Amino acid sequence: MSHSKALLILCPDMLTAWNSRKMVLSVSYDFTKLKDELQLCTMILSYSPKNESTWSHRRWVIKKVSEHHQDMSGLIERESLLVKEIAEKSKMNYRAWRHRCWLISYMTREQVLDELKKSARWNELHVADNCCFHYRRSLLLALLDSRCIEGENSLDYKSEVHLLWKEELRWNEMLIRRYQGRESLWIHRRFLSQWWVKFLLSGEEMECCAAGISLVDLFLSQEIYLLSDCLNVPADEFGEACIQAELAALYILWISKQVPAVKPQLEERLHSLGSLEDVLARACPERSRLWTHLIA
Amino acid sequence: MFTGSTRPTHRRVRDSAPLAVGDSLERRAAASSLLAGFGSSTLRAKLLVPPARAMGEGGELAAEKHVRYIVTVEKKKDSFESLVMEHIRLNGAYWGLTTLDLLHKLDAVDAGEVIQWIMSCYHPESGGFGGNVGHDPHVLYTLSAVQVLCLFDRLDVLDVDKVADYVSGLQNEDGSFSGDIWGEVDTRFSYIVICTLALLHRLHKINVQKAVDYIVSCKNLDGGFGAMPGGESHAGQIFCCVGALAITGSLHHIDRDLLGWWLCERQCKEGGLNGRPEKLADVCYSWWVLSSLIMIDRVHWIDKDKLAKFILNCQDKENGGISDRPDNAVDIYHTYFGVAGLSLMEYPRVKPMDPAYALPLDVVNRIFLRKGY
Repeated sequence: MSHSKALLILCPDMLTAWNSRKMVLSVSYDFTKLKDELQLCTMILSYSPKNESTWSHRRWVIKKVSEHHQDMSGLIERESLLVKEIAEKSKMNYRAWRHRCWLISYMTREQVLDELKKSARWNELHVADNCCFHYRRSLLLALLDSRCIEGENSLDYKSEVHLLWKEELRWNEMLIRRYQGRESLWIHRRFLSQWWVKFLLSGEEMECCAAGISLVDLFLSQEIYLLSDCLNVPADEFGEACIQAELAALYILWISKQVPAVKPQLEERLHSLGSLEDVLARACPERSRLWTHLIA
Repeated sequence: MFTGSTRPTHRRVRDSAPLAVGDSLERRAAASSLLAGFGSSTLRAKLLVPPARAMGEGGELAAEKHVRYIVTVEKKKDSFESLVMEHIRLNGAYWGLTTLDLLHKLDAVDAGEVIQWIMSCYHPESGGFGGNVGHDPHVLYTLSAVQVLCLFDRLDVLDVDKVADYVSGLQNEDGSFSGDIWGEVDTRFSYIVICTLALLHRLHKINVQKAVDYIVSCKNLDGGFGAMPGGESHAGQIFCCVGALAITGSLHHIDRDLLGWWLCERQCKEGGLNGRPEKLADVCYSWWVLSSLIMIDRVHWIDKDKLAKFILNCQDKENGGISDRPDNAVDIYHTYFGVAGLSLMEYPRVKPMDPAYALPLDVVNRIFLRKGY
């Protein structure tokens, strides 16, 4: 074990060395040894944060621990924190965030809610990191999972999710307005809106609204208003206003394609800005091959 | 082909400081992003000043230079590049040799020598191949071995059923595939096993329906695919899932417009393609994204001319080789993907490639038109 340890510190890619350690560890369950293994991985990840073999070995160790322990919450919490620390130094690290998403299946509902709350601040400081927003989407989807919303508390759980979703949309819009041209933010909004509009259409939202205007209409008006603001931002030296306009236009196209039922309403609301095609032609001429086919 | 960049990307740094231990660790860390998957490392290593490159306008493909570069790397077993690639040398063999074949120069290497070396990576007890001699078997290297043998039309050296049994034995209950006996699951492995078995005419050894169902379960709301269900969409993983679905005749599971949209948004202003939102363009995505677009018939949605110019701009026209983006150091991995990308765009004097099998079209035709064994 000491030989393979020395080897791996120098060359974490040595699959064969990791495998030899797994063979030794598989002989009998020893929690202390497995904890040491996690420490070895942590050390290697501190200078080799993208190393696939190390992340994979880490998961193998955690799975082994989970076979013998019921309560994984402490371990999972520490794992999540570890990824956060690694992600701070290694941006958009696919392997690290994949690991964090993998942890979600071990989390309780409370932990998922806690993770959502705790990670919001980090996301605000890393708005160009698509991975961290994907993690949030995974957490939100976990809350929608049937095992989370069935049973005696299901109504409470459902309304909690809806409140969270609304807040997420509001928070996302705040970030979009603050940080121009950030693709990750708009992609997050695509996800949020798609689900939200479908949810509103299903009629489950019981909140009352001004007479004659459906909640869907209200939401779509707000999105068009956002689009309009984005199209009218004065150009800046970094070209971010331009990218913002492009992303906003594509976002509206996204809603119209993903929720075809609201396409007519969208086009009606767009009226003052022109047709969707006009908006796209002005905002993203370079992607014309893409949207001309999508509109057709 | 899935083990990523062979070396850290680094600017040509005017720094003649000798390498410190820390540097070499950093470099190995960068090289280790290989097994991390598809992108190249973003580490910047300090190096001795490399020879000046003839950069600037992309112009034409410097095919002869690239051939010479590959043959040189293959021979220099003690070079830096060889050392960092040591544990994935078999993948390197696939990248280098396929590129040579695409440039009509497979005869620049000694087939017998190569095949002998490949077989020395074979584990007769398991039926799998390791990354180099004495290394544990894994599907990552097994596919590369099979692909290289296809290039030379020497699948006859294999115990086909033994190899097929090794890879098919890694299918799990839920239809997914592990990379080796230690169990890590990833959609890359689904593609690898399906591709390997198809080339060996042994696809019936797995539960194809379950394999397809598992891949479909990894489809995301944005139309893309990740490494596991719910995993972030990534161009490399998408290629693997689309390729696997293509080979098994299951492309109808894909929303082509939606996925096409995601893939097209990978094209950056300068014409290159990235692998995920907010990332820099990288030549390797010329393959992952382009082949996926071709398989779902949406390649006309991107600007291919701009992409070709980007790839050509990443060449080192003096010493040969292609890098991940203009002005960075070259490596075998990006040389392969650059040429492969140009092949998909029907660049003159480059052999056409099969987008699903990642081999020259004539090689694939030979395998499927000849009676199986």
